[in-house]
Amino acid sequence: MSPSQGDLTRNRGFLLVAASIVVSLILVGAYLAAGGSSYTPEKIQDPCKPRPWSNPQSLSEIANQFTVSALDGAACKLGVSREALTRALATPEARERFKKKYGIDDAKLAQAIRAGLVRAIDDAEEAGALSPLIAAPLRETVQRIPLSQAIEFINDAESFLGNVNSFLGPAQNLLEEFLP
Amino acid sequence: MAALALAVGVVLADSSIVVLALPDIYRELNTSVSGVTWVLVSFNLVMALAAVPAALIARRVGPGRAAAVGLAVFAGAGLACGLADSLSTLIVARCIQALGGAAAVTAALELLPATVGSEQRATTIWAAAGATGAALGPALGGILTELVSWQSIFLLQVPVALAAAVPILAVAKHEAATGIVSTELRRTGRPHIWANLALAMVSAAIAAALFLLVLLLIEGWRLSPIEAALVVTAMPLAAVLGGRLAALVSDARPRAAAGAILVSGGLAGLAFLPKATIALTIPPQILVGIGLALVLSALTETALGGRAPQAIHGGWTISARHAGVVIGLLLLTPIFTHEIDQQRHDAINAGTAVILDSPVNPLLKLGLAEKVSERLEEEKGKVPTIGPAFEPLPDDPGERAEVKQLQGELQDQLDRGATHAFSTSFILAALLGLIALFPIALSKEVEL
Repeated sequence: MSPSQGDLTRNRGFLLVAASIVVSLILVGAYLAAGGSSYTPEKIQDPCKPRPWSNPQSLSEIANQFTVSALDGAACKLGVSREALTRALATPEARERFKKKYGIDDAKLAQAIRAGLVRAIDDAEEAGALSPLIAAPLRETVQRIPLSQAIEFINDAESFLGNVNSFLGPAQNLLEEFLP
Repeated sequence: MAALALAVGVVLADSSIVVLALPDIYRELNTSVSGVTWVLVSFNLVMALAAVPAALIARRVGPGRAAAVGLAVFAGAGLACGLADSLSTLIVARCIQALGGAAAVTAALELLPATVGSEQRATTIWAAAGATGAALGPALGGILTELVSWQSIFLLQVPVALAAAVPILAVAKHEAATGIVSTELRRTGRPHIWANLALAMVSAAIAAALFLLVLLLIEGWRLSPIEAALVVTAMPLAAVLGGRLAALVSDARPRAAAGAILVSGGLAGLAFLPKATIALTIPPQILVGIGLALVLSALTETALGGRAPQAIHGGWTISARHAGVVIGLLLLTPIFTHEIDQQRHDAINAGTAVILDSPVNPLLKLGLAEKVSERLEEEKGKVPTIGPAFEPLPDDPGERAEVKQLQGELQDQLDRGATHAFSTSFILAALLGLIALFPIALSKEVEL
């Protein structure tokens, strides 16, 4: 091989390696710039942190926020995620698996769900979705209900709040008339 | 020559041909991801262990006889693989297939120089046939799995291997009649340590690229085997381009280095996919394809260059390549199975959060959360298909639109989880490719 041929071979080899580095860096850089390092499932929020209500208007919207607040409150009390608790409450079998996994008994679960319902009532009151005159007796009531009923209140918050409205609404009107 | 190239191609394709069939084997034989990995690992492990002894035997009994018997064993074991009804039977048959394959491939390298006229040309043809087989394997396997069944991959190998064996039988008969073993028994030189070490590392990275990408496409993004086969065809097509590029640079060391860098760059690209979209897998695959063509041929030529006997040193390269595949699979499988589980958990939590935070009627969304929860139980250990959880869709058009949007958002979370689950493994595979640069740098002596 003559010296000039040797140089040509060396140059081609050098160019090939340099081009490989450049192309690889461009590809990886482009993918990172397009969000490649953050293409992951979204992080779930700590249930103990407050989750602001987004000005609900209809009963359905209030029930929606109420459910989320109740689940947040109960999950915070149990030290689990709101999402794990939601799936646990879906079926009796899921609930049993959840209790076994986290070493929770019925009493502790009931206590947590009641605490969650209290937080939901607090949040609803703070957002102006529930009158203080209704919130106070409601808070007292949910702290005495059995586990199955507490779960039902979370699962069907709309009926729960609808019933509350139909039962306590007239009472509130009466109270508002007599109170200064 | 065609029969010998076919023999090498069909045996080395077997190293990767089942990659796209693994999800079907996984489901049909009711095994785990780690279990099904052994369908690949067993073949490559036995090839790695048997290649050099098989080359020695081929030189003792005659390469013609070794190749013919090897192909017959390969075909018989392929039939057993196709008829296997349990994972253990399949793995045992794969081991026997690898024994036959090792004999056939190494003996072919001993027979080729007499057929094509020179050792240099024989090496090039042998390396090209092996690279073509390995690169085309996954696509062929995917097409057969979808159009027929995973068993057909092995059953089809039977006539192909026998067809390759028929012309070689003439050489075997000649050896038996004359008692002449065509190769002189020269003293075996030391194998090229650095080239073989680099070959092992690069093979680990390439195996990971194929295996992980196929799993991502089929199990993560729920593509059918034939769709996945079409997608991964980008790699062998790019390898053809890489082969042409290799012809422009005669020095093996820069070719090997450039190839290793491109393989690593492509793998890093796959690790940082910004979206679960097929199109985005193509540029990284092109890099891996060009890279594998450059690096495999350069390192094989370096390992064989000026060394004799060819069959033994060819055996060492086969051994290094398949050992690399085994190391890659055994190193990365536990990592990505753990990651899949973790990401699945994160994706489900994120998906449940999406459901809870949606404006859908509370009763409806808690019902959806329940159904999604049931799907998770049914598909434990896999990336779940959540479509059925959303059926039947509500009658109300407004609610229907909300539920459909919710389904899309939940699917997005699952796609994110499935894609991210492979990131760590792709990064580690890319690192293996980069580490190969050290032995490549140390293989100063390019003996062509």
